[in-house]
Amino acid sequence: MEVLQGKDLAQALAAGFRCLERYRDTLNALNVYPVPDGDTGTNMLLTMSAGIAKVAPVEGGGVGAVAAGLADGAFWEARGNSGVILSQFFKGIAAGLAGQEVCAAADLTAALRAATAAAYRSVGNPVEGTMLTVIRCAAEALEREAEKSAAADCLAHWKTALDAAQVALDNTPNLLPRLKEAGVVDAGGMGIVAILGGAYAYLTGQDVEHLDLGWPATAGEINPAQPAAATIESDFLDASTEGEWGYCTQFLIQGAGLDLERVRADLAETAESLVIVGDDRVIRVHIHIGDPGAALSYGVALGELSQIKIDNMNRQSQDWAAGHQAAQQGRSVPPSGLALVAVAPGDGLAQLFRDSGCAAVVSGGQTMNPSVAQLVNAAAASGGREVILLPNNKNVAITAVQAAERENEAQQLYVIPTRTVAQGVAAALAFNAQQSAAANRQAMEAAVAAVVSIEVTRAVRATTLDGVAVAAGDYMGLVEGDLAVVRDTPEAALLSALEGVGLSEDHIVTLYRGADAAAETAAAVVRQIEEGTPGIQVDLVDGGQPHYPYFAAVE
Amino acid sequence: MAIRIVTDSTADLPADLAQELNISVVPSNVVIDDVNYRDGVDLTPEEFYRRLTTGPRLPTTSQPSVGAFQAVYQGLLEQGHNIVSLHVSGKLSGTVNSATQAKAALGDPAIAVIDSNLASIALALVVVKAAQAARQADSYQEVAEQVQRDLGQTGVFFFVDTLEYLQKGGRIGKAQAFVGSLLHVKPILTLQEGEVHPLERQRNRERAIRRIVELTRERGPVQQLAVAYSTEPDWAADLSGRLSDLLPAEQIIISRFGPAIGTYVGPGALGLAYSAAG
Repeated sequence: MEVLQGKDLAQALAAGFRCLERYRDTLNALNVYPVPDGDTGTNMLLTMSAGIAKVAPVEGGGVGAVAAGLADGAFWEARGNSGVILSQFFKGIAAGLAGQEVCAAADLTAALRAATAAAYRSVGNPVEGTMLTVIRCAAEALEREAEKSAAADCLAHWKTALDAAQVALDNTPNLLPRLKEAGVVDAGGMGIVAILGGAYAYLTGQDVEHLDLGWPATAGEINPAQPAAATIESDFLDASTEGEWGYCTQFLIQGAGLDLERVRADLAETAESLVIVGDDRVIRVHIHIGDPGAALSYGVALGELSQIKIDNMNRQSQDWAAGHQAAQQGRSVPPSGLALVAVAPGDGLAQLFRDSGCAAVVSGGQTMNPSVAQLVNAAAASGGREVILLPNNKNVAITAVQAAERENEAQQLYVIPTRTVAQGVAAALAFNAQQSAAANRQAMEAAVAAVVSIEVTRAVRATTLDGVAVAAGDYMGLVEGDLAVVRDTPEAALLSALEGVGLSEDHIVTLYRGADAAAETAAAVVRQIEEGTPGIQVDLVDGGQPHYPYFAAVE
Repeated sequence: MAIRIVTDSTADLPADLAQELNISVVPSNVVIDDVNYRDGVDLTPEEFYRRLTTGPRLPTTSQPSVGAFQAVYQGLLEQGHNIVSLHVSGKLSGTVNSATQAKAALGDPAIAVIDSNLASIALALVVVKAAQAARQADSYQEVAEQVQRDLGQTGVFFFVDTLEYLQKGGRIGKAQAFVGSLLHVKPILTLQEGEVHPLERQRNRERAIRRIVELTRERGPVQQLAVAYSTEPDWAADLSGRLSDLLPAEQIIISRFGPAIGTYVGPGALGLAYSAAG
């Protein structure tokens, strides 16, 4: 195959997406840090699904139009670090293929080069041994190939990129010690290989559903010692869809003489965020719809249904509505047009942020990474002409930065890169809508700098971190994001971490009780802290956050 | 004949200072359980704060009547004095209206009625300075001009234990944005353009006091300082003690938020007013 047509690229990307979906659980299981975390596979999949949905309408166009659709859709749905990097990777591809009808080997090289640059730019502090390395190695392999012979075949080129990506992926543990400690390869990198591999399979006429990339396709085979995986995933799906109504509905239709275009057109009338891929025998439907029953009835009339999955998205929608309502009532949306928007895990924390002056709150955090679109919607709902956004988690910060980079003349978005809830609350309390955005950012950044953040969570599996052995079920006390102590109970981990920080009577400790910590236990801990440091102020807040029995702020 | 200063009871001017400087104070009205009390005349602060915190309904305030102003003005005019009448912000109270109407009713005599855009001890600082200036001034217009200059140099910082009283009393202004927090924060407020304005939130009293001291120091050298409390005299002493390097302790006016202002700041409030030098 000398050149790729737009249709080839669209179908190849769809196949890459199916392959990513096939290995999603495998990617999710490659969580190297033993804390409950946003799932890489799911984040990448959701990011790419929005891109694929945008590809379908332009499938007949040139490769430039196809890549632009992919990049645009993925941009808005990007969530989590891996999702944001993937969306920027696509953006680079689109820039490299801009205006092109077809993609020759040299174009593929240029596109991957641009994609590498975009991906590296998307993170503040690029780390080798991650999906960035995998992307870069694929691009560099093409550069080398191009130097050898000018007239390469596009398909051969794709194979070169895939092989280089696979080699780079296998090498990631040698570059990143924490991967080696955990005995895994990088999950995001694996996602890149899955996408390139799936696309290559399609281009060479192989069946993606039976493609073997040499990895187990289920989480269990990779990491049997991960009890939390199932619960995290369901939590995540509850909260992961954009600020929409209705139900995320997925199913497979198997039949004969199926008309893909027709199915797309029919479902587009009542559903949103369509990802409908397949051929005349199998069609995979992934839609957001108010009445999932109607979609299933439609599908069953065409063929046999399987793999039915329905998730309620209303939880997100309620948060959005609350923000919208706040905006309409004018509460916390001052005449200066400056509004505050925060991401919060847990109802108590959401309430605290609203109470502290946030015009809109997006549900999300460590295990529930909101998308760019969710953040942008919340910012829009806030009603501010200028909006300050508090991501309050390191996995959300990069998404917030991407949200701030969107082009919107009507609203300017600023990010205070808060990495913890403790930092976020300090920043929110320093917010004063009567002051300028610049004055606020300065005051809020100063407030963030004055806080020490402590997080207590349960190790989801055994590992060695920074030389400390952690057993599954141990409680870890993280100080400023780094593992500080390991204890048998969350309370012991908290007290020990606080001790490490060093408390004085001049300090204020704010304790955010998680969903897993009992009120009486938390009250007892407060007394212990007060007794340990007479004169200290300890405020207890019912945060309701999942997976973290305690967050604490020392200031 | 001389120039005399008139103000109203929301200035929270200590009685001994008023007497010493020949300042006439027209009382506002505070209504508790349908009974009208003249601020600082019929109702002591102790009694007021006790009833504020334990009474079934919040007190309300009303501006002095036109008649009350007329009586005070007339007495001074009959002694041959010209008058500079300085009052609480027109955005917080209708006092200036009463004063203006009283002046008109008296046939527009030699009285300068001035809306200070301030309240409480901030107003008191300007009033004290005006009374001092009145001793040497050649005309009441000259004093009024001096007052206009002083107003721009005078400011106030205060914190309240709860914004509830400002909110329920309808005087919260832009500080509405600070209402409601699951965390018990001390909101630091100021007066800007005659209204209550939010500055920042601190997590406890100590930090709020510390911050007020910092904010005051940022204003540069000061000419006058006043501190006022609603229910905790120790806090006022603490705050003035931390400012003794800016001004000798005996020159710092210590006052108490009277019933009219207390209706809005509530118990546990502390404030500082300054006038900048130069």
